[in-house]
Amino acid sequence: MLRTGSVIFRKHCHTNVFTQIGLIMLFWLTGDAAVKAVGVNIPGSIAGLFLIVALLTTKQMSVHSVRLGARWFLGEMLLFFVPAVLVVLDHPELFGILGLKIFAVILLSTAVVMTATAVFVDVCYRYIGRRQ
Amino acid sequence: MYIINIILWSALTIGLYYAGKLFGRKFPAWWSSPLLTAPILLITIALVFHVSYKEYISGTRWMITMLAPATVAFAIPIYEQRALIRKHWFLLAGGVIVGSITAMVSSWFLAELFGLNDQLRLSLLPRSLSTPFALIVSGEIGGTQGLTAVFVIITGLFGATLGEILLKSLPLQSAIAKGSLFGMGAHAVGTAKAHSISSEIGAVSGLIMVLVGAVNVLAAPLIEAFLLNF
Repeated sequence: MLRTGSVIFRKHCHTNVFTQIGLIMLFWLTGDAAVKAVGVNIPGSIAGLFLIVALLTTKQMSVHSVRLGARWFLGEMLLFFVPAVLVVLDHPELFGILGLKIFAVILLSTAVVMTATAVFVDVCYRYIGRRQ
Repeated sequence: MYIINIILWSALTIGLYYAGKLFGRKFPAWWSSPLLTAPILLITIALVFHVSYKEYISGTRWMITMLAPATVAFAIPIYEQRALIRKHWFLLAGGVIVGSITAMVSSWFLAELFGLNDQLRLSLLPRSLSTPFALIVSGEIGGTQGLTAVFVIITGLFGATLGEILLKSLPLQSAIAKGSLFGMGAHAVGTAKAHSISSEIGAVSGLIMVLVGAVNVLAAPLIEAFLLNF
């Protein structure tokens, strides 16, 4: 009886996206509580992330219990950024010349960062590949 | 009144986001991302009806909170690509260090070049990190968190598109290099874009994003000490 119950529960966990979304949120809250208890300056979400990776790696949890929920979060993540963009309403100064200057700094700097990082990694990758 | 605020602004935001998503699928272009079209429409509505940011965000703050569990969800692609990560951890670590130093130095000198003041400059430094990390670093080195939040968003928004253009013009061979381009340059928004290209590139991007954030938070006191002596 107990066994069938556990099988049904497991099947539910592996197929229901809402349960999985809830589970992922539970990991976030756990991570948040852990970080606060220890008193380290790391976001609770990152602690939750490493907690899941640790449980999956040590086979304490099946990846099927969180895969659907994770796919939902990653697929809809841009939605959660939308309200944050409206903070520009509070910064009218960004709509003038100053805004253009800041925009230029961000765009140029991001291009430099992306190019430097990707070229560095790719060159090292090819160098290692050639030596092996 | 508060409940009405939540229902009204949340429904409008979600509705415009999905409309923007459909529109973007029909007319794929850099400007048709829902992260650009939805906010532009929302800002227009807010300006027309004289709605303040405070009023809008009181109804939609829960959506920004959802970014935290969304970050937790990156655990799964990272776990699924563990073989790739185990094999190339050295490259990933190198990319994080080179990228972080380039981000700080280039932001600093470009801000100097364009004559931006110290407050803006300090708020610009952590902008390539994902939001929770960027806010911690900004607070620690003496930037303004509100401004940093704006810069993080602008970086993600345009960085993801910029990354796509760079990907086409740079002769990159490895998925690690392509993933680190997005994760280093455009944090979570770049990672979402990277996932739409391939799950391998997306996983690398997600891992780089998390590592860069953690490394920078740990290095923040060092960066502050360096800035004071500069």
